Amino acid sequence: MSLFLIVALPFIGALVPGLMIQAGRRACALATLSVTALAFIGLMTHVPAVLRGEVVQARVEWLPALGLDANFFLDGLGLLFAGLILGIGLLIIIYARYYLSREDPMGQFYAYLLLFQGAMVGIVLSDNILLLLVFWELTSLSSFLLIGYWKHLPEGRQGARMALAVTGGGGLAMIAGMLILGEIAGSYDLTVILQNREAIQSSELYMPALILILLGAFTKSAQFPFHFWLPHAMAAPTPVSAYLHSATMVKAGLFLMARMWPVLAGTDAWFYIVATTGLVTMVIAAVIALFKDDLKALLAFSTVSHLGLITMLLGLGTGMGAVAAVFHIINHATFKAALFMTAGIIDHETHTRDIKRLGGLRKLMPATFVIATITALSMAGIPLLNGFLSKEMMLYEASHTPWAGSYWVVPVLATVGALFSAAYSFRYIWHVFFGPVRKDYPSKPHDPGFGMLASPAFLSVLVVLIGIMPSLAEPLVRLTAAAVIGGELPEFHLQLWHGVNAALVMSIIAVVGGVILLALHRPLDRAWIAAPRPEAKIIFDAVVEGAASGSRWLTDRLHDGALTRYAAIFTVTVLALAVHAYLTGGISRPTRAMMPPGVVPTIGWAMLLIAAGCLVAFHRRRLVALVLMAIVGLVVSVGFVYLSAPDLALTQISVEVVTIILLLLALNFLPKTTPSESSVARRVRDGGIAVVAGLGAGALIYALLVRDFAFPTISEYHLANSYKGGGGTNVVNVILVDFRGFDTFGEIIVLGIAALVIYALTEALLSSPVRARLLAWTDESPDAGDAHPMMMVVVTRVMLPVVLMVGVYILLRGHNDPGGGFIAGLIVAIAVVMQYMASGFAWAEARQRYPYHGAIGAGVLIAGLTGIGAWFAGEPFLTSAYGYIHLPPIEEFEWATAMGFDLGVFLTVVGAVLLSLQSFSRIARRSGDRVSAHPMDIDPSREEC
Amino acid sequence: MSYNLSVILPEIVISVYVMGALLVAVYTGKDKLGPALVWITSALLAICGLWVAFSTGETHIAFGGMIIDDAFARFAKAVTLFSAAAILLMSEGYMARRGLLRFEYPLLVALASVGMMVMVSAGDLMALYMGLELQSLSVYVIAALRRDSIRSTEAGLKYFVLGSLSSGLLLYGASLTYGFAGTTLFPGIIEAAGAGRIPLGLLFGLVFVAAGMAFKISAAPFHMWTPDVYEGSPTPVTAFFATAPKVAATAMIARVLFDAFGGVVADWQQILAFLSVVSMFLGGIAAIGQRNIKRLMAYSSIAHMGYALMGLAAGTPFGVQSMLVYMVIYVVMNVGTFAFILTMERAGTPVTDIRALNMYSRAEPLRALAMLVLLFSLAGVPPLVGFFAKFYVLSAAVQAGLGWLAVLGVIAAVINAFYYIRIVYYMYFGEEGEGLETQGSPVLWGFLMVSAAAMVLGVVNLFGIEAMAEAAAASLVL
Repeated sequence: MSLFLIVALPFIGALVPGLMIQAGRRACALATLSVTALAFIGLMTHVPAVLRGEVVQARVEWLPALGLDANFFLDGLGLLFAGLILGIGLLIIIYARYYLSREDPMGQFYAYLLLFQGAMVGIVLSDNILLLLVFWELTSLSSFLLIGYWKHLPEGRQGARMALAVTGGGGLAMIAGMLILGEIAGSYDLTVILQNREAIQSSELYMPALILILLGAFTKSAQFPFHFWLPHAMAAPTPVSAYLHSATMVKAGLFLMARMWPVLAGTDAWFYIVATTGLVTMVIAAVIALFKDDLKALLAFSTVSHLGLITMLLGLGTGMGAVAAVFHIINHATFKAALFMTAGIIDHETHTRDIKRLGGLRKLMPATFVIATITALSMAGIPLLNGFLSKEMMLYEASHTPWAGSYWVVPVLATVGALFSAAYSFRYIWHVFFGPVRKDYPSKPHDPGFGMLASPAFLSVLVVLIGIMPSLAEPLVRLTAAAVIGGELPEFHLQLWHGVNAALVMSIIAVVGGVILLALHRPLDRAWIAAPRPEAKIIFDAVVEGAASGSRWLTDRLHDGALTRYAAIFTVTVLALAVHAYLTGGISRPTRAMMPPGVVPTIGWAMLLIAAGCLVAFHRRRLVALVLMAIVGLVVSVGFVYLSAPDLALTQISVEVVTIILLLLALNFLPKTTPSESSVARRVRDGGIAVVAGLGAGALIYALLVRDFAFPTISEYHLANSYKGGGGTNVVNVILVDFRGFDTFGEIIVLGIAALVIYALTEALLSSPVRARLLAWTDESPDAGDAHPMMMVVVTRVMLPVVLMVGVYILLRGHNDPGGGFIAGLIVAIAVVMQYMASGFAWAEARQRYPYHGAIGAGVLIAGLTGIGAWFAGEPFLTSAYGYIHLPPIEEFEWATAMGFDLGVFLTVVGAVLLSLQSFSRIARRSGDRVSAHPMDIDPSREEC
Repeated sequence: MSYNLSVILPEIVISVYVMGALLVAVYTGKDKLGPALVWITSALLAICGLWVAFSTGETHIAFGGMIIDDAFARFAKAVTLFSAAAILLMSEGYMARRGLLRFEYPLLVALASVGMMVMVSAGDLMALYMGLELQSLSVYVIAALRRDSIRSTEAGLKYFVLGSLSSGLLLYGASLTYGFAGTTLFPGIIEAAGAGRIPLGLLFGLVFVAAGMAFKISAAPFHMWTPDVYEGSPTPVTAFFATAPKVAATAMIARVLFDAFGGVVADWQQILAFLSVVSMFLGGIAAIGQRNIKRLMAYSSIAHMGYALMGLAAGTPFGVQSMLVYMVIYVVMNVGTFAFILTMERAGTPVTDIRALNMYSRAEPLRALAMLVLLFSLAGVPPLVGFFAKFYVLSAAVQAGLGWLAVLGVIAAVINAFYYIRIVYYMYFGEEGEGLETQGSPVLWGFLMVSAAAMVLGVVNLFGIEAMAEAAAASLVL
């Protein structure tokens, strides 16, 4: 049968129990059984080939771009494990059929079980390590479902969570290790990787890969310090515990270590990590197991201990160590599965697993007693049973292994482990089956039917058979060990009697010590309970809780909702990136000398600095801040003048005036000061960041300015083409109305929309509940007595025609000299705004004839029409044309279509500025601004002080 | 110069539709048209998605190189449009029941989609900026859609302020780039940048542009807005933020980095790797403590962006391919997850506390199973599709010699798995709680189930996305 089919069968079969459940529990179990049996038989058909030393392969491409292919191979190691998984699976299915009660949804259970089985078979047969990872995590998932199967038990939930958190996390770590391994070997195929021992062990990535892969293996096989999850997973139904936690899933970690043995083992790192972990696990778990009163907890810790034993053997890195490990894997699977099933039987019959409530079952459950005794004695390492053989081999290996130069550490610890192992095995027999028959069992115990006994009985027969005739198992051990080692097998022969050697002495010590420990169990138990010891569950919960609160601490610090903090982080990061860029980038030498700083620029520079500094210092007083901003704007405008850009200066200064006036108006409705929320420390921090960022930006600009541009600037092009192409000598204006006319067209539309939005917002505001607040508005400080000072009123009114004239003049000359529609618009707007300020809103509004919306609309329309005009001349939108007209009384003057466009800009700017202003003023009037009918008023209600 | 308007016909169609619909809605039923507009817009976006997806394989250029319509752009556009259409459909019921379904909402989403389409097919820094701002401005408004909620307005405002800051930075970087390359067209920039050491000004330009773009995909440490905005916005809006804009922004980063700065991979590789590592770890660590599922998804998306950046950091065609595959899978997972989050409520009010999911599997086994699949997929647990996404970017990093980045990525994946698994734990093994009503509409149920099923069935061949992503990556990286 193809390997694909063997792996796929359980997965396909997982659908069957769900469908068959309607046909009854027997049919459901039978279907599951036959699926597994079929896969088992399929596996057996490959035995002859594997025995001949062939490697059976099946390959198909899946996602070749990732190197992920569905490749399977079967060698001795795979055969052993697949056989264990499917064989014990068969026994478990039979056992579970009788174990599960009528209320348990059996279809679901078998479906999960088959899923798990398929994943396990997938692991052991995978050739591609990525495929192996996929199956590896699938076992975590399906075991999660199986452990949590009995949802009504709270420990079950906790167990499932820990199991998944630990094994899932370990599995993810393993992905990284596998990736590294695949990268070193150049292939993700195990068959290739296993050939690359030298390359892998000499790679500098060997250590990280080793640690990451071992993390996966140790978490799966519950090795110290990850041993805590396994006992807590025991709340699962016993068939699950027996299957997952004795025979299969926990052995996946061992399988992986055995699989990777040829390439990873043999180094000092491997020995010290793996062997030490195994040894420590073996001893600690054995000690804990002795003091567990829950039958399954006892078995769970004993499992951990035995897994530690096998891990240690694999960690030795010697051929004989691997042989012993393989042998113990077989033996442990047989006796531990049987023991779990007996524990399940006891639980099933007496309705308790508490050893303290049991005892005397020998007479009530004789068949169970026999099976449990045989298998427990095997676990204790009593001769004539299989556990003895592999334990002897382990002790023998331990007896001559030095650890960091010391020859006694390993043997002594191994003996201690074996001693406790014997003790808890004896306890399992003695405290459960011996002693007087009790009256108070929760349920009257008796032997179960044959169905439940069959599986453990079969296994106990195996235990005895191998124990007496080890040569029966020898071919399998040889085959498997050869696959593990991947080379020449050491000379060995499995036999019962090796003569009196160190191992036998240690074994005798262990058994005798075990009996003594059991005799002393009562006082020892009391001392154990009294002694403080770390409780894994509490630690796990504490770690989880700690992680959560630590994370919350972090987010509270980092994301406290304060915008200033976010901005600070943003700025610091950008600064860091910029510094990084500066340090890594190539820095050319400056190509330009710095110009000598003149007096005027220095003064301007100082003023800018002082104003900016004062702005930071006084920013909470809004009026002062506004004044300081105006200073900054002015200095910048002067700067433009100094740098021979009168046009920009004009624009800048007009914009400054308009914005400051509008801001002043808006300030009316805001508190005089901003709320103070930051502490001194934070201000110092923010100030520091700001100064560094400012210096950085300055330095960057300086660095750029003292170097030549990488290419000629575009100014030359504009200077050269301004008159020729646009008919104007004012380059800025030509750019605005011609070269970039389309942009300007867009901009005036945006400007118009902005003004309309301000208008719409104030309208909405005045019809909303805010209106009531505005009506009830009282100023904090009394108004000035003469709201409309006479001097100002007179001056503005006199100046109005003059300013309008200047506006028109600037509009007209714009094309060739500093000026243009934008500046002219601002100037005219300022002139009108001044009327509002000096004479009051009511006075000005009464004299307004046209709505400002109209000006905006007309402006955009005129500009647009000018552009469209170009179409009639067969030119693209906004192409300008110009010519000269000679009117007799006046001198010759130029006309340009840009003129019309500029007019549109002019109108839009005027309309937009005034519409915003008017909108603000509407709010002001709502809020109770007294408007007297007469200008130049003196407020009579004002009190002299 | 040829404008070649046919290249941007889908964008034009959507824009014209939006303008028309706005006018019609203003003068007719206003918000009463909301549900209808949602369906129409969604259908239009989906149709345009199909249209783009099935366009011919050639590369078209419009506006003198400002717009590039290649396989890469089409791939990103299709994903963006489909996810936007899906989110719109999902939000209809939720928004309508809470009186949030203003008629502007679907239209703003459509406008944002146009912006995203321009972003991914921009061949010029100016076009890119235009697309970016169209998208950003629409999105700021959507974030503050629930005007009467302080949280929502605060979210919108924060997003706006920080977004402007980053846009400013990007613009500053673009000016520097222009100053030293003499052009804003990508082919010109790549020529100026040369293959060796690039001028300092150009390097600063690159750094600032990259930082500005990193903000858009909320890569740490430019991620600060994400948790607040995700939490404050209405849930459908959060779902939108988590999907379409992320795809468009990652594609845009790929476009700029490869088309404009492809010759100097070494100069940005470290920056991306740095952003990637910080995002993965910060997202993972910060999510552990979250109880609000929207905030949790915010951190989760930060972490996921870290993985997407890892693919880009590889600087190879395979890296781009891995990033595209990652983003597609990420979007599908997020659509499904948010389809579920949208149904979470108790007595008519939305619930966001993950502890409300206690023992959810007992009440709704099928939905719980679908969520289990999605969450495991988000965690990157094999064999679900989410694993392949992570695996793709990890392999890209390893192949590009960034083994350390891949190892850090896996460690971060372990941290990230923790909080996803905790939700599963609540659903399957939690303590008895108050329970949760998750009726939702059939639409939400459908999206949940389809995306969960995709996570399982996709393992066969990833629905052929690989090949498409490969072609897309090949068209980007020459």
